[in-house]
Amino acid sequence: MMSFEIAEPQTLSEALALLDPEDPSVRAIAGGTALMLMMKSGVFRPTRLVSLRKLADAHTRIDARANGELAIGALTPLAALEDAPMVRSRAPVIAETLRTLSNVRVRNVATVGGHLAHADPHMDLPPVLIALRARVAVASRRGTREVAVEDLFAGYYETVLARDELISALIVPAQGERRAAYFKCTTRAADDWPALGVAVAVDGAGSAIREARIVLSAATSKPARLRAAEAILGEGTADAVLARAAEAAAEEADVMADGHGSAAYKRQLVRVYVQRALRRALGAPGVNERAQR
Amino acid sequence: MKTKDQATRQIGRSIPRREAREKVSGRAEYIHHLRLPGMLYGKIVRSTLAHARLKSIDVSAAAAAPGVAGVITAADVRKIIPDPYYGPIFHDQPILALDKVRHVGESVAVVLAADPHLAEQAAQLVEVEYQELPAVYDEVEAMKAGSAIVHEVLRPAGMFPDFKDLAGRRNTNLHLDFKLRRGDVARAFANAEHVFEHTFHTRQIMHTPLEPIVTLAESNGSSVTLHTASQMVSVVRTEIARLLGWPENRVRVKTAFLGGGFGAKTYIKVEAIAVACALIARRPVKIALTMEEQFYTINKHANTLRLKSAVGRDGRISARECEVWWNGGAYADIGPRLTQKTGFTAAGPYDIDNVHIDSYAVYTNLPPAAGLRGFGVPTLTFAYESHTDMIARELGIDPLEFRRKNLLREGRAQATGTVMRDAATEAVLERLAQRMSWNAPFDRGSGSVRRGRGIAIGFKASISNTTSVAIVNVYADGSCTVYCNTVDMGQGSDTALAQIAAEALGIPVESVKVAHPDTDLTPYDMGTLGSRSTFHMGQAVKLAAEDARDKLLALATALGVPVETTPIADLFRKRYGMQAGNVVGVATFNPKSNQPDHATGLAENITPNWMVGGTGAEIEVDTETGHVRVTRLVNIADCGTAINPQIVESQLSGAAIMQYGCTMSEGIEFDAGQATNASLADYKIPGIRDIPAVFVNEIVAARQESGPYGAKGVGETGTFGVSAAITNAIHDAVGVRITRLPVTPEAVYRALRANSATPLEE
Repeated sequence: MMSFEIAEPQTLSEALALLDPEDPSVRAIAGGTALMLMMKSGVFRPTRLVSLRKLADAHTRIDARANGELAIGALTPLAALEDAPMVRSRAPVIAETLRTLSNVRVRNVATVGGHLAHADPHMDLPPVLIALRARVAVASRRGTREVAVEDLFAGYYETVLARDELISALIVPAQGERRAAYFKCTTRAADDWPALGVAVAVDGAGSAIREARIVLSAATSKPARLRAAEAILGEGTADAVLARAAEAAAEEADVMADGHGSAAYKRQLVRVYVQRALRRALGAPGVNERAQR
Repeated sequence: MKTKDQATRQIGRSIPRREAREKVSGRAEYIHHLRLPGMLYGKIVRSTLAHARLKSIDVSAAAAAPGVAGVITAADVRKIIPDPYYGPIFHDQPILALDKVRHVGESVAVVLAADPHLAEQAAQLVEVEYQELPAVYDEVEAMKAGSAIVHEVLRPAGMFPDFKDLAGRRNTNLHLDFKLRRGDVARAFANAEHVFEHTFHTRQIMHTPLEPIVTLAESNGSSVTLHTASQMVSVVRTEIARLLGWPENRVRVKTAFLGGGFGAKTYIKVEAIAVACALIARRPVKIALTMEEQFYTINKHANTLRLKSAVGRDGRISARECEVWWNGGAYADIGPRLTQKTGFTAAGPYDIDNVHIDSYAVYTNLPPAAGLRGFGVPTLTFAYESHTDMIARELGIDPLEFRRKNLLREGRAQATGTVMRDAATEAVLERLAQRMSWNAPFDRGSGSVRRGRGIAIGFKASISNTTSVAIVNVYADGSCTVYCNTVDMGQGSDTALAQIAAEALGIPVESVKVAHPDTDLTPYDMGTLGSRSTFHMGQAVKLAAEDARDKLLALATALGVPVETTPIADLFRKRYGMQAGNVVGVATFNPKSNQPDHATGLAENITPNWMVGGTGAEIEVDTETGHVRVTRLVNIADCGTAINPQIVESQLSGAAIMQYGCTMSEGIEFDAGQATNASLADYKIPGIRDIPAVFVNEIVAARQESGPYGAKGVGETGTFGVSAAITNAIHDAVGVRITRLPVTPEAVYRALRANSATPLEE
């Protein structure tokens, strides 16, 4: 490891000023759980790291806004998100997802903003947040903008953010009657990166579905909504409809083969887990105990 | 002090492991943490090709890099070690690659720097020019005519006497061919009612000690000291002394606690490189591998195994033919020994009159393979216990009944002709049946969750003709220290050996210290491997402690004081007039056995003892995804007397968890000789959430008469039956037979689809 500069700005604007729009060897570091591994393996060789450590006080709040939205500071550790009563009551699927996200040591230091900005398609929260229609607030010296999590990812380990932008907050809208579920499916050991993640959110009561979101991650190069499957759910929640939606999902998913399984096998997993996730979101009995795997 | 008949009951006590507090509080000593003044770190430059002639190595850019103290190649090594080849069976492995490289990751050069990061950085600047050669990876292919040849000529090491006749053999990758011929197999097959034949495959497994392989070497020019995470300090000393051409007393080898070994830290690993670098650089040099580098340093053999059995109308196996290919990788290491010693048990713990075994050690262009917890037995057991189950199912005989019919029982001859003694095969099988409630109704599941159960039983011959020496030094205050080269690598030997010494001396276990290996002080031992320490070193310590006790008794008699009531300290005070002196007991234990006959593989006394392990598994298969969940795992073992029952149980459970990993998820994947999953992110060992909800580990009442207080080894026994118990249970649940490890969900799902005539596309 060559020597590099580490900056510890006190404020967000100082941090933004230390970033470089052109230089990929200058990067912000929050929890560092992913970046340190990249540095150790030589994939990333920094010239300057901008530590966000001293900004933590100002960016680890979780607030409920008047309109029911949750605003979560980008430096909130994943463990704090997991434990926050406001998150558990308003978006329980987030807390459930976090329970099996990596391990408690990682969750204690990894941050919400870093988790999203890293854009590793195996991350668990992005599909869930897309299903919940969450957005991120993005800051730069040019001001602030909002980006839907659905639009945040440009590709494998790529986001739409410029090099001098930082995620400052995550906003989760009020869920109303939306019911959500997430399945992480691993194929090598229980504690592993997912072979695929499937998040669903279904809006509406009973069998009257107003809108459904089905999001696939890990098996694809970036989290992807399965729109053909979503459209089929307009027809209701009968078993035959769910089966057709699952079939459509398996058909449209652009899955990649890797160490977790072949593409053909992963398509089968998509078929199975889309149905299981929908059943769980819809409150069908007998699926919860199979949550993991 | 006690006389011969008094029992102090140190044996069979579950006293807590003595190092436990040190370990959980982070104070335990490991070589990995050791730093010496002036020390350099060595970073190894590794081959990127599986098989290539070495044309040139340009170290100039690396040598000029900031902070670099030197770059070492084979040419430098040769100046101090003219014949720089090592290995326990063959002198085939160069300290650094000489004429060619034989696997990806082979050590080609070493960059030395005081800062490990600078060494790593500069290592990337070493330019190596190769001329690529055809390579061979598959163990069966490597034996065919026209295959690439890994070593042009075989060079037996001569350390073990039984491999000498292989000297000079040319142009073959087959470097040991063990044969066992018993009875008339051809006739038995010709007369058989039923004949069954099946083939099985396993992949390379990484040992995964959480403390990677590490050696720190220092020299003052006339002697060399190695601080090394090794399971075999005596052998390291002998081999380093041989390489240097020095007497053994100029080589000192020390170790500390090991963060796991499992067979990875045996014989020479990075010791020779570290010594060469330290002598050339004239500074202490530490070579500490990363977890990733371990994938290229040592692994467990991949295997192809073919089994064929003849079975009569009565359900008795009349003949078994076994052909086992061991993929040894580029360097033999201890593989040929394994091929032979484990090979003779390839037909399983069954009473079969006609047995034919061919066990082949084969070179390929992959990283070298060696023993991993079980020395090949778990692989063989996977094959013969799958095969045995498949026969029982085909014949419609209950798998337990079929095993009972054919089991190798006490007093019967094993395939080598050696009569089984103190091997509780029957007790293990019957206890297993009991703990599995084999005769009770079983819930077979419904819908997409199908349940099944399976059993398997395996056995292992203890390593034979090895020696342990122990010294028990009683101090003038009555406390004592055991000096021996057994390495506590997490198996609890410090605790167990202290219990044995305390029992023999009749003193509290708290008064006994077990010194850690330092070859300047501690006497010879073959090594901490093969579950041999409790039996071999345990017996040596017991005999040494008895020797010390006899001397103390003689002293008491000479002093005319009552033997039974005089405290040990008083004997010394009376003898020397003050607290002074020592009484030293010493003993050597070298149980005799015969080598198998070269032509027939037969031997009257093949091993000093047998270890027996059985496993039962209950599993659930998700028929939509192929996921297998083990809901209940039962391990039953014969380890003779348990010196420390709690440690025995944790050895069984630890071994079973390791083999669960080898069964379900582990396997190094190679692409053109390059490991594609060489990190713990992609090579998955079991985690806590993989452990079966019901996990039983127990031993049967048994006694090894030739062992210390009736004890024998237990470190590997929990591995034997795990793989086959699980694959047998999968077959029981869903009717598919997995013959290739690991049992991935995809493999199971594909088998289910193939079974229903709708195979999943590739």
